[in-house]
Amino acid sequence: MSHGYQAVGWSPFKKRYDLVLGGLLAGYLALFSLATLLLRPEITAETLLIRAFGTAALLLLHAVLAIGPLARLDGRFLPLLYNRRHLGVTMFLAALVHGALATFQFHALGDAPPLVSLLASNTRLDSLSQFPFQQLGLAALLILFLMAATSHDFWLAQLTAPVWKALHMGVYLAYALIVAHVALGALQDERSPLLAGALGAGVVAIAGLHLAAGRREAALDRERRAAGADGFVEVCGVDEIAEGRARVVTLGGERVAVFRYEGRLSALSNVCRHQNGPLGEGRIVDGCVTCPWHGYQYLPASGASPPPFSERVPTFRVRVVDRRVFVDPRPLPAGTPVAPAVVSESGGGG
Amino acid sequence: MTPLDVATWIVRLAGAYAAAGLLFALLFLFVLRGVDRIDPSARAGSRGFRWIVLPGVAALWPLLLRRWLAGASEPPEESNAHRRAAAGGRG
Repeated sequence: MSHGYQAVGWSPFKKRYDLVLGGLLAGYLALFSLATLLLRPEITAETLLIRAFGTAALLLLHAVLAIGPLARLDGRFLPLLYNRRHLGVTMFLAALVHGALATFQFHALGDAPPLVSLLASNTRLDSLSQFPFQQLGLAALLILFLMAATSHDFWLAQLTAPVWKALHMGVYLAYALIVAHVALGALQDERSPLLAGALGAGVVAIAGLHLAAGRREAALDRERRAAGADGFVEVCGVDEIAEGRARVVTLGGERVAVFRYEGRLSALSNVCRHQNGPLGEGRIVDGCVTCPWHGYQYLPASGASPPPFSERVPTFRVRVVDRRVFVDPRPLPAGTPVAPAVVSESGGGG
Repeated sequence: MTPLDVATWIVRLAGAYAAAGLLFALLFLFVLRGVDRIDPSARAGSRGFRWIVLPGVAALWPLLLRRWLAGASEPPEESNAHRRAAAGGRG
C-alpha cells in the first residue's frame, strides 16, 4: 500500500510459499537430471542444464497461467494467487538460465558476437524443420523480462493498474512464442512422443481453464438491469447477501460490489487499486472491505483505505425498499463518503 | 544489407538503449534520486527496493524521465469506467 516501498513485502505465508517453490524447483532439476543421465548417459552437461532449466521454465509458466482461472473457478486456489509474482519471476529466471546457456553453447564460439549470431545465423522462415526457433525464444524472454522487471508495486503505481495489467497480459504472447519455440525446436529432434503429448496436454488444459473461467465471468457481465425513474437499479434481495460479504453486479460499464455488514449496506467499485483485484470476492475484515488477492483494505462507506494508506475507489448510493437493494449506477468520485443503507434485521427496509 | 548487418545494428541499438537506461537508473535511483520526487512512497523506501526496481527503470527509462522532467510529484491516477464517469460529474 502507499507507504515506504520495500524490496519484498515479506510475510510468513510468502516465506513458506517461496520455500516450497524453491524446494519444488530444486527437486525437479535434480530428478530431471538424474532421469536424463540414466536414459541418455552420452548427454553433455551443457545440454542437460539447457533442457532441465527449459522444461522447468515451461512447467512454471503453465502453473502461472493456470492459477488465475483456477482461483476464479474455485476459491480454494486463491492462496496460490497471492504470491504469483514470485512464481513468475522464478519462471523468468529459469528461462533466462536456459536462454543464456543455449546462447553460449550454440553462438559463443563463432566470429560474430553471440546475440548477433543468434539473430542472423538462421533465417529459414520458409522451413518448418529448420525454422529459426531460437529467435522465438528470445522474443518470449524479452516479454518475460519486462514482466519480471515491472512486478514490484512501484510499477503498479507508475503505470496504473489497467496499463500494468495490459502489459502483463503479454504473458499470453510469450506463451504462444514459447509453445512455437518448443514445437519448432526441441520437438523436431525428439523421437519419443512424450514431450509433444505433454506440451499438447498443457496447451489444452490452459485453454480449457481460461474458457471455463471466461464463460462464468461473461455471464455476470451480460446481466442487464433497468433503472427506475430515480435512476436507481434493483440489484437483489437483502437476504441474498451474506453478512460480511458482497453481491457483485455490472453497472456503468464496470462491476460494483454491494457489501452487507453490521446491519448496513454500502456499494463500491469492484476494482481494487492494487492489480485491479475483485473486491466483491473479498469480505469485511476489521470493519474494512478486504481484497481477496493481496489484502488491500477500504472503508465500506467511503471507499478510502484507512490511514496511513491513501488508496481510494469510487462509491455508489444504495437504498433498501421492502428488503430489495437498489443502487444508483452513477459512480461518485473515489473516496466519497456515502451514508450506508440501513437494513432492519426483522423485516422491512431502511 | 545482409542479415548479419541487420542483426548487428539491432544488437548495437539495443545495447545503446540498455546502457543509457542503466546510467539513467543509477542517477534516478541512487544519485539524483528523482524517484523520490515522482513517488512519495519511494522516499521512505528501503535500499533493497531501489535495487529491485533497477532493471525495470533501465528498461522503461523514457517513461520515468518524462514524468521526472514534467515535475510529477505523485503517481498517475488510474482510469476505468467508474472513475471516468465520476470525473465527468453527475447530476
